[in-house]
Amino acid sequence: MQLTRITTAVALLLGTLVAAAQGTASVEGTVTLPKPPSQVKINPRYAAQAGALLPPEPPTAVVFLEGAPLPADDKPATNVVQVAQKGMQFGPGLIAVRKGTRVEFPNGDDFYHNVFSYSKAKRFDLGRFLKDEKPAAVTFDQPGVVKLYCEIHEHMRGSVVVLDTPYFVKSDTNGVYRLTGLPAGQFKLKAWIDDKISFEQPVELKPGAASRVNFPGSP
Amino acid sequence: MLVLLLAASQLANAQEALLQRLDDALTYQSSGGLFRSDLSGLVDVEGYFIDHRPPGLLFGNADLFNPRLSLFLDTHLGSQFYSLVQFRADRGFDPRAMPDGDARFDEYLLRWTPWEDGRLNVQVGKFATVFGKWVQRHDSWQNPFITAPLAYENVTTITDQAAPGTRAAFLGRRNVADTKATWLPVVWGPAYTSGASVFGQLDKFDYAFEFKNASISSRPNAWDAKDLGWENPTVSARLAHTPNAAWNYGVSASHGAYLLPAADATVPGGYSRSSYRQTTIGTDLSWSHHGWQVWGEAMVARFQVPNVGNADTFTYFVEAKYKFTPSLFAAVRWNQQLFDTVPDGAGGAQHWDRNIFRVDTALSYRFTRHLQGKLQYSLSHENGPVQQGEQLWAAQLTVKF
Repeated sequence: MQLTRITTAVALLLGTLVAAAQGTASVEGTVTLPKPPSQVKINPRYAAQAGALLPPEPPTAVVFLEGAPLPADDKPATNVVQVAQKGMQFGPGLIAVRKGTRVEFPNGDDFYHNVFSYSKAKRFDLGRFLKDEKPAAVTFDQPGVVKLYCEIHEHMRGSVVVLDTPYFVKSDTNGVYRLTGLPAGQFKLKAWIDDKISFEQPVELKPGAASRVNFPGSP
Repeated sequence: MLVLLLAASQLANAQEALLQRLDDALTYQSSGGLFRSDLSGLVDVEGYFIDHRPPGLLFGNADLFNPRLSLFLDTHLGSQFYSLVQFRADRGFDPRAMPDGDARFDEYLLRWTPWEDGRLNVQVGKFATVFGKWVQRHDSWQNPFITAPLAYENVTTITDQAAPGTRAAFLGRRNVADTKATWLPVVWGPAYTSGASVFGQLDKFDYAFEFKNASISSRPNAWDAKDLGWENPTVSARLAHTPNAAWNYGVSASHGAYLLPAADATVPGGYSRSSYRQTTIGTDLSWSHHGWQVWGEAMVARFQVPNVGNADTFTYFVEAKYKFTPSLFAAVRWNQQLFDTVPDGAGGAQHWDRNIFRVDTALSYRFTRHLQGKLQYSLSHENGPVQQGEQLWAAQLTVKF
């Protein structure tokens, strides 16, 4: 634990020094996260359970800056991100991607999985796919929150936060986050945890300075 | 119905968040997670439009409207104990079997799973039969059709109420429309009979064995232990192999007495209800990949009929479902049932019921994770002058929470 704290402090210090050297701003802080969910129980009404069930991931948050101008050298997202289905869980269960990112869904189990969503930002159904075949993929081309489900295993839940900005980061499982390389100015900083919990706060970013914003903020 | 579907679409968008919140709110879990209980349900609204008398297990004599509320309470205690209670309020277990309305506990079971890998489960209560594969997907949300396959609903001339007086009397039933209050199909829907089962999964094999109070063809009012005890039990089993995720095939068998106490006084002297049994052997095969799902089942059933002899029948179906879009899917099913001959008492032999084929087609649309609409058209034909529901249109709207 002591070593983790020292490493975190050194990283923050280095980040601040880099930001100062580049004239960009940064923001860091902590998001108060809900309690980790309990282990899900499957209800196999008419058959035996197939396969072992992994525990769900602990909660994390996506923190992003809204209203900031895009960098002059900004390019459309071309990266590919993977969300695996293993142990009848999405892993990671929450990701944040830039609009235009392609997400692959490899099946890590010996039985079928499916991924579908009826979210406004992306409506899709990838059918049933096997462990050994090329992972099915979706390009997320509209900003918004896309909820992921598996029609075979109803308890499975995942979320893709699709953003129209390059300024975002996912917190660790303690809620600690750090966003760097930000433009100076007055913007909104938002933290999204799930459909029920999200926060936002105004933030003033100054060149070369690191701001601190915790969620929820002081009343 | 189109108006209803359009209204449903509007309703779906408006109510999705509410239904999701309801879904989440109907779960209780103790702080340590030892106890967890989920209440879920299906609300079905169905309409059937038929050109003749309703076929299969649709009761009454004309078109019908059939609402149904199904509530499921799934409860876990630790990792080893699970219980399910299914409550239904409707117009009878089968549409319009109780036109003025009915409410029942259709399933209640307690399951013990000593190992987490599911190699062994022991279950007691009133629950769906292990025979066949269709039962595992029989609820309105998972069944791509509104009706069951022919094997699970086509009413034959076998009765559980009384022994036929003569062979001619038995054969004479072919010439009248189904008497659903007293006749039986090969398997009566999911056959929620009462008893105990042992089942599990060992590597790529699934096994299941059950000891129940009534035959798989028995009618719903014989399923409860208070209605029929275990004096003349039925045993059923299924063994299946899953060579890979895409394929599954299995064999099933069931054997037991099918006559009810009402028939006691009519069986020939020296015999009893237990002398007359239903023996059914079935096989099933399923395959799925990407947007396709295909199922097939075939079964041979023998009913030992008092004063007649063995009445054999063969029935099968092949069913395919394809997803065109995330919301829209179509399904088609070919069903057939063929009847063997029995001696007619005049030196010859005759088919004991009317051979039948039926093709079912259906389109389904999932508006959201909580709302689904289905439209079905079925064309069937029976040998002989009596037709029942030669053309059937059905529509169903389901809300799931």
